[in-house]
Amino acid sequence: MLYSLRIFSKIDPENFLYIGVLFFLSGAVISLVPIQKVKNYIYILSVLGSIGFALLSLYLLFTLPLNLFSLPISSIFEFSFRGDAISGFFVLAISILTLAVSIYSIGYTKEMGGKGLMGFLFNIFILSMYAVVLSGNIVTFIMSWETMSIVSYFLVTFDRDEKSAKAGLVYAVMTQIGTAFIIALFLILYKQTASMNFSDIKTLSTQIPENIRHLIFIFSIIGFGTKAGIIPLHTWLPIAHPAAPSNISSLMSGVMIKTGIYGIIRICMDILGQGPEWWGISVIVIGAVSSIIGVMYALMEHDLKRLLAYHSVENIGIILLGIGASMMFKSHGLYTLSSIALIAGLYHVLNHGIFKGLLFLGAGSVMHATHTKNMEDMGGLLKEMPYTGLFFLVGSVSICALPPFNGFVSEWLTYQSLLLGFKSPSVVSKIIPPLGGAALALTGALAAACFVKAFGISFLGMPRSKHVEDVKESSPLMIAGMGVLALLCLVFGIFPGFAVNLIAPASFAVTGSYGITSNSGFLYLTETSAGLSPMTILFTVVIMSIATILFIRRLGGKRKIVYGDSWDCGIPALTPRMQYTATAFTKPIRMIFKRIYLPRRELKVSYIVKPFFVKSIKYSGEITPFFERYIYEPVTVFTHKIAGKVRLLQSGSLHLYLGYILITLILLLIFGS
Amino acid sequence: MKNWIQVFSVIDFISVGILLTAIAMNALKRIESCIKDYTFNSLLLSLLIAIVAFMVEETHLYIASIVTLLSKGLLIPMFLRKIVRQMKVTHDAEPYISNALSLTISGILVAVVYASLKEGIFVTGFSKNVLQISIAVILIGLFIMITRRKAVTQVIGLLFMENGLFLAGFSLTFGMPTIIELGVLFDMLMGVIILGIFAVQIKRYFASADLDKLTILKG
Repeated sequence: MLYSLRIFSKIDPENFLYIGVLFFLSGAVISLVPIQKVKNYIYILSVLGSIGFALLSLYLLFTLPLNLFSLPISSIFEFSFRGDAISGFFVLAISILTLAVSIYSIGYTKEMGGKGLMGFLFNIFILSMYAVVLSGNIVTFIMSWETMSIVSYFLVTFDRDEKSAKAGLVYAVMTQIGTAFIIALFLILYKQTASMNFSDIKTLSTQIPENIRHLIFIFSIIGFGTKAGIIPLHTWLPIAHPAAPSNISSLMSGVMIKTGIYGIIRICMDILGQGPEWWGISVIVIGAVSSIIGVMYALMEHDLKRLLAYHSVENIGIILLGIGASMMFKSHGLYTLSSIALIAGLYHVLNHGIFKGLLFLGAGSVMHATHTKNMEDMGGLLKEMPYTGLFFLVGSVSICALPPFNGFVSEWLTYQSLLLGFKSPSVVSKIIPPLGGAALALTGALAAACFVKAFGISFLGMPRSKHVEDVKESSPLMIAGMGVLALLCLVFGIFPGFAVNLIAPASFAVTGSYGITSNSGFLYLTETSAGLSPMTILFTVVIMSIATILFIRRLGGKRKIVYGDSWDCGIPALTPRMQYTATAFTKPIRMIFKRIYLPRRELKVSYIVKPFFVKSIKYSGEITPFFERYIYEPVTVFTHKIAGKVRLLQSGSLHLYLGYILITLILLLIFGS
Repeated sequence: MKNWIQVFSVIDFISVGILLTAIAMNALKRIESCIKDYTFNSLLLSLLIAIVAFMVEETHLYIASIVTLLSKGLLIPMFLRKIVRQMKVTHDAEPYISNALSLTISGILVAVVYASLKEGIFVTGFSKNVLQISIAVILIGLFIMITRRKAVTQVIGLLFMENGLFLAGFSLTFGMPTIIELGVLFDMLMGVIILGIFAVQIKRYFASADLDKLTILKG
């Protein structure tokens, strides 16, 4: 790594920034050129741009914090971009996914309407995400953050139909609520430290009174948590992700929601430094709740993209488990353990970006081919789309945290750091983190069930509807985009040392300690006896499988394979409708957790001769959307009520409006003097 | 030679005249007489500025006085008369509040202003009453806008407010720099022209210039 750095150490790191920005901007500009031929190059430019930013991120990870760019407008208003190891890591995560998604988008947008607008928004969206994580002061951060929100709003409403418009509204409202809290917290920081620069605020943050620090923490959890999608602020994810085009939902779910995680790390761990114990504990609790509730709702979804969106809630929960553990250890002064936990969290940020990006791209290919999002209408896709199926399977195995893929390593690290909670001095810190570990275990099991369902129902079995009749494999570039990510799932799963080397500088910048050392594919957790070598696991699995096959062959002798029909209970013919459905598959889970799902079912039977001859049976069932019905609906109804009352002021009469002005003036005159 | 201004408190008399003309607006129904009332108000304003200019011997105040006379005393009334002729309205419709009540409310407004500005701010110090009167004129102008229905009378209310503002600025600072005063006057002129055009257009499309018929325009 350091050797490769030496090669381009002659070049100023700012140049990589300029090169990256230049590529993305030119991508945005040529999108607006009304010549069709030019538009094939939009995404090639964004591929090049993401490579530029990837090089910049390597630089930022391995050097001291660096002022990249600053443009003073007035004495307090200044555009300033600054990079350190934390932003470097997030720039890397964004670059990796952008690279793959750009390749995918070349194929995906080929027959799309409004290609130019799409290319423009795509490039600006990515640039704004880079700007968020590289912002060096408050003003730049808020402006980048808002640009990101607005551009992503336009991308969510890209298909101009009523459903997208509604999704866009929900997204815009939630985002603005979050942004309000973020602006409030920055104003508090500015009031307390009288400085706009993050680096100055960091040095002055120790003077902030304790109560105000708590307030800043709570605001940042609510504000950034809305973007990240923690429970109960997650409601926009399952609405906005399915509405956006698939390459965009891949970016939104893969990296945009991670900017929320970046904000939490930046404010609560970097700027505020060391917090009290309850900060970490509450983040662990939020993470545990988000991961369990997220995966539970995912299980009940039959819309492929909504399912993936709920899994984003789950994975944000897992990331927060790691980050919360890190905050807790830091408050006890256990910096090595804190570093291990933070590496676990950041590793999962990277991994989730890769495999969730991959899964959304896979879902996009499937939808592109079948024109449906409903799993119950798919089935048997693996035969027609072998590569998409394979890569979707890789993504599924990764998200279920099975070796040898990347999800396993980061979730293993998260388990380790949660179970190491017993090393902390206080009782609460000894109890809560292991309980978080238990929640993570439940989450893992449910996630596995969910992806057995998602993959099994959509890719295996027989075609369930006419949507699947003339399905074709996606274009080579779309497959290549997914292939890159699938390969990275494997690489980061087998060579965790490689990834940890990229993450450790960011973790060091926050906690001041390298918690994990790696040696030729073997991870050692410092101060503990734990270690991990996925290579060994892979090797063992391969050897064991070969041995098992040989053993069975030996024991059972050579057998002839006979093909025949499945047993059909004597029914004349088997039809695809007799297959296990997604609803049926999840029934046991729905029954076990019925206190959470509150399922409702309705059975309408009409008879010819009661009770022997049934004419028709109609079954419908749904689960209660708890958060929407019991939290958001009352709030919405209440707001509408108030708005109706306020509307009376707005009578439309000019004279009344002038009357308001007169009354205001008189009151000002009386109370002003 | 100049003490007669102080001795007979000419400035106070003129400003009270300005206040009375503003209050008189409440009792006038014919649009023609409203315009006359406004013209008289503007002439008094111009005279007041001229007398102060004479007292302190400031050239730019003479200019302000003359410009006020030309624009507010001649040009704007002329234009208003033209609009009235075009729209063929001679009387304002019945106002929302009866004349007696609106006169009372105007009186209360003056009392409120005097009560709340007891100490007043006297930057220029040539009269104790000018600031209070000017603010009262502003409020009465706004009040006229509230009670009247026709677009033209509302415009006149706005013009009274502007006269009040001019007087307030004048009493606090001996007049703003000429360039700003010119700018404000020009703005006023343009505003009246645009409002006149709008009023004519509204009349043409809705067959009425009653502004309370425009409530359906709200969002």
